[in-house]
Amino acid sequence: MKQTLRYDQLSCRLQVEGLPDVSAGQPDDAVGIITSWTLDWAGRPQLEGRKEHLVALMQVVMPYARHRISGVARRFGDASQPVDIGPAEAGEGHLLMLRSSQSDTPPLQIGLDDAELSDLVRVLDLLRMDPRLQLPLAIPVSRPLKLRDVLERTPLPQRLAAPLGGALVLALATAFALMLPQPKRLQTQPTSPAPSAQPQAPGGQVPGARP
Amino acid sequence: MPHDSPSLEISLRLPRRGIERLDLLLLSVEALDLNGGEAMVWMSEQMGFTDRFPNRVELWKSRCHNPLRRTTRRGELAAADGDALIRILCALADRLYPVLRGLLSQAEAPEVLVQRWALFQSRLSELVKERMNPRRGGVQKYLNPETCVAECRQLVQSLALASGAGGFERLKASLLDAGS
Repeated sequence: MKQTLRYDQLSCRLQVEGLPDVSAGQPDDAVGIITSWTLDWAGRPQLEGRKEHLVALMQVVMPYARHRISGVARRFGDASQPVDIGPAEAGEGHLLMLRSSQSDTPPLQIGLDDAELSDLVRVLDLLRMDPRLQLPLAIPVSRPLKLRDVLERTPLPQRLAAPLGGALVLALATAFALMLPQPKRLQTQPTSPAPSAQPQAPGGQVPGARP
Repeated sequence: MPHDSPSLEISLRLPRRGIERLDLLLLSVEALDLNGGEAMVWMSEQMGFTDRFPNRVELWKSRCHNPLRRTTRRGELAAADGDALIRILCALADRLYPVLRGLLSQAEAPEVLVQRWALFQSRLSELVKERMNPRRGGVQKYLNPETCVAECRQLVQSLALASGAGGFERLKASLLDAGS
C-alpha cells in the first residue's frame, strides 16, 4: 500500500512517497522504502528524485543550517556531489546548487533568502523526525562546533589584530631595551690596608695555616 | 514539540557565552512579542517545567546567570535548567515563526521590511538598556546602531532555525560551541 508523507511550509512543500517494508514487520502507515519525492517551491521549478537525492540534499542542508545558527557561513558539498549549498556570493542569501546525474543536463541554481532556507530546514526536520518514516537516513547529527570552525565567523584582520599587536609591542619593547646604554662597570679602588695588631709573617703566610 | 534529541542526550552545562546568547535570544522573543515575558511563564507551565520554574521569579533568576546582566547571579546554571530554557525558547520561536519569517523574507515590500526591523531593533535596544550592563562590550554592540543591524539579524535567523522539530538539537549544539 503506497503511503504519501506531506509537509507544508509557506514557500515549499515536500512530498515523499513510499511503501512499508513488510519484511521488517512495519505497519501499513509506515514508510520503509522511499520510491520518490518532490519538493515544490513557490515560483520555482519542482525538484524530484530518488531517495539518494533526498539524502544528499539533507546531508548538506542540515549541517549548513547548523553552522548558520552559530553565525558561521561556509559551503557544504562540492562539484562531485549532487547537491551543494553555501552563502550567496553577492549580497545576502544562500545558493543551492543541484547537479543532475544526466550529463546533458546543466546544474540548477536556486537562490534562497533566509526565510526560504528556514522553511526548507523545517520541512526536512519534519521528515526526519516523523515516526512514520522508519528508514535510517545517514544525516550528520548536530554537534558543538570546534574552536577552528567558530573562529571562521570572525574576520581575519580582527582575528590577527591581538597577536600582531602583541608581537609589535614586544618588538618595540625589545628594541627600546637594546638602545639603553649598558651600565659602566664599577672600578674598585685599592684601599689602604687597615693597621693590624699582629705583624704579618714573612712570605705573607699566616702562621699555623696549612697548605 | 518533540523532547528527543539523539545527539545531545547527555545534559551538558552551558558555557558562559552560551548563557549570554540564550538570554539574548529570550530577550529577542520579548522584543518580538509584547507579552513575551508572560508567554514564557505560560509556555513553561504548558511544557511541564513548573517543578523547575514554579513562578516567574524562578524563571527570571535562572536567566540572571547571564554575566551581561545588570543584576547578575553567581554560580552556574544547572544543566537541566539550561535545557528547560532552551526548550521554552524553541517553543516560543515556533509560535513566533510567522513573525520571524516576515522579518527574514525578501519577498516582502522593502519599506515594510525597514519598518519591521526598525521596530524590532528599537524594542530590543530598549530591553538591552533596561536589563544589561551597558559597560560590557557584548552589550554595547546591541546599543551601537552600526553593529546592531547585523547582530539583530543573526538573532532573528538563529530563532528561525531554532524553531520547528529539530530546533532544540540545533540550538543546544550551537550554545555549546567551543570558545563560545
